[in-house]
Amino acid sequence: MLDETTVQIVTELDIVAARQLGRNEAKAIGFNKVDQARIATAISELAKNIFLYASVGKIIIKRITKNGNSEKGIAIIAIDKGPGIKDVGKVLDYSPAANNGAGLHAVKRLVDLIEIQSEIGMGTIVRIEKWLR
Amino acid sequence: MNVNVQFREEGDLLLGFIEGEIDTFTAPTLRDELNSICISEGLFIELDLLNVSFMDSTGLGVFVAFYKKVMRENANLKLVNLSGRLTRLFEITGLSELMDIETIKKGD
Amino acid sequence: MNILKQLKAQYKKILLDYILNQNESNLYIGQNLIKQLIQKNVTPEDVIGIHKQAIEEIYEDLPESISHAYDFLIELMVHFGLKVKEHQFLLLKQEEMRIEMDIAAKIQNLLLETTIPTPELLDIGMVSIPKRKMNGDYVHFLHDDENYLGVAVTDVVGKGVPAALCMSMVKYGLDTLGYANSNPSYVLEVLNKIIEKSVDDSMFVSLFYGRYNLNNDIFTWASAGHEPALYYRAKENIFYDLESKGLLLGILPEFKYIQHDVKLEKDDFLVLMTDGVTDFRKLEEFDSRGYIKQLAVSYSRLSAQQMCEEIYKDLERLQDFNLDDDFTIVIIKK
Repeated sequence: MLDETTVQIVTELDIVAARQLGRNEAKAIGFNKVDQARIATAISELAKNIFLYASVGKIIIKRITKNGNSEKGIAIIAIDKGPGIKDVGKVLDYSPAANNGAGLHAVKRLVDLIEIQSEIGMGTIVRIEKWLR
Repeated sequence: MNVNVQFREEGDLLLGFIEGEIDTFTAPTLRDELNSICISEGLFIELDLLNVSFMDSTGLGVFVAFYKKVMRENANLKLVNLSGRLTRLFEITGLSELMDIETIKKGD
Repeated sequence: MNILKQLKAQYKKILLDYILNQNESNLYIGQNLIKQLIQKNVTPEDVIGIHKQAIEEIYEDLPESISHAYDFLIELMVHFGLKVKEHQFLLLKQEEMRIEMDIAAKIQNLLLETTIPTPELLDIGMVSIPKRKMNGDYVHFLHDDENYLGVAVTDVVGKGVPAALCMSMVKYGLDTLGYANSNPSYVLEVLNKIIEKSVDDSMFVSLFYGRYNLNNDIFTWASAGHEPALYYRAKENIFYDLESKGLLLGILPEFKYIQHDVKLEKDDFLVLMTDGVTDFRKLEEFDSRGYIKQLAVSYSRLSAQQMCEEIYKDLERLQDFNLDDDFTIVIIKK
């Protein structure tokens, strides 16, 4: 299996494809059912944000390791060229789905790390990580 | 409570049929609908208010903003089939002197 | 053995006890376990995972379809949790906004407080009731000496915060103009320019401005798209509409307003109001101005303030105590 796979998000069907890919990868890494569900749900939210607010973008799914391969995990990177998010800090801390950060803060609780880089008019990159325990 | 607009094009004339109630809650919908019109120079826009059952001053604001936009593009706007109540609203506010409006014809 | 594994084992044991014996004490023990799970940050979907695992261990020949059903439940619960979280944030945000609105409304009420002047020769009354927290109507009096009394009745189109901000601008415009002897047409032209420059295309203000000359009882007025005031001439027992075709403020910067005069005599009175007084959404064909005239005459022996209050009570009752708009009425009696 490749270390990295990419799904282009153009139609709503691509959201399902991204979920499926992420779930397969999570399963292969060794995540249990509940964590698989969390990873798929997080991917779903990111992909839906692309679909709804940016219309085009992609989801990259990656295997990651740390401490000399002793810890394994999964990273999901969502990249779009949409309108961007105004105040990244606010999206994570508190601002709800009403903003274009749509529900990212809620994703935070499903994963171990979430990072957002965004520039108005340029697009948004969201990276999430989840580690196998 | 809702408002919706149906458009029909007839050459240089764009007809818009507005239906429903225009108040604080529905005004944004109407504004978006009107802003979706692609205004080209010389275009005649006629908005039919026959089926507008209620309008408050927020609705008036939408029409004024749209009127200003149309004027900037050198196009024309006419509001037709205004009820007596709506006509009064445009008269009191002085807008009937500024905008082209037509009251509903009796017996139509 | 780590703590999570311990908790899983405990869960399995309690579940098994309950399966064998459905009594209250087993349920109670199970509920106590939840507290420990929460302390370890175990989520509801985790609990379903733990439950599924326990069931699979208890029933070795469990059909695969049941396992799938549990997986389905886990998936849905993860999403459910996500949406609940989002919803909670929305509620939190809403609460914060409500608190900010309350503060803003208090400040606005303070800024836009109207004091009714008491010139020796006139009786003035006023009632202004906002529909929501912030009043889109505003009444401004100017009474700097015993020669003139200025009165402005305004209504901002739009509601809530944008309207309140716009209203503050009108108030400061009126404050800056400052003199009770200013011509009404001049007052409207200055305000019109201020508002036209400062607000967006869909925002405007209707304003009725009157100046009462206390020396000769001549009332001079001009209107910018405002509900016409009523003038009652006692001698003839007739109402006159103080109509004027002046445009709303904030639409055309160079608009010229025309002012008119009327001379008041003993027992005459003026009724200034906003459209919240005359516009009844639910009573479409109702002649509201005619009804207000009747009310005003029937209460004309009361003081101006009492007249305003009685008219408000009647109109409120007529609309089942649920007015559609901000309500403002001012009565000036000679």
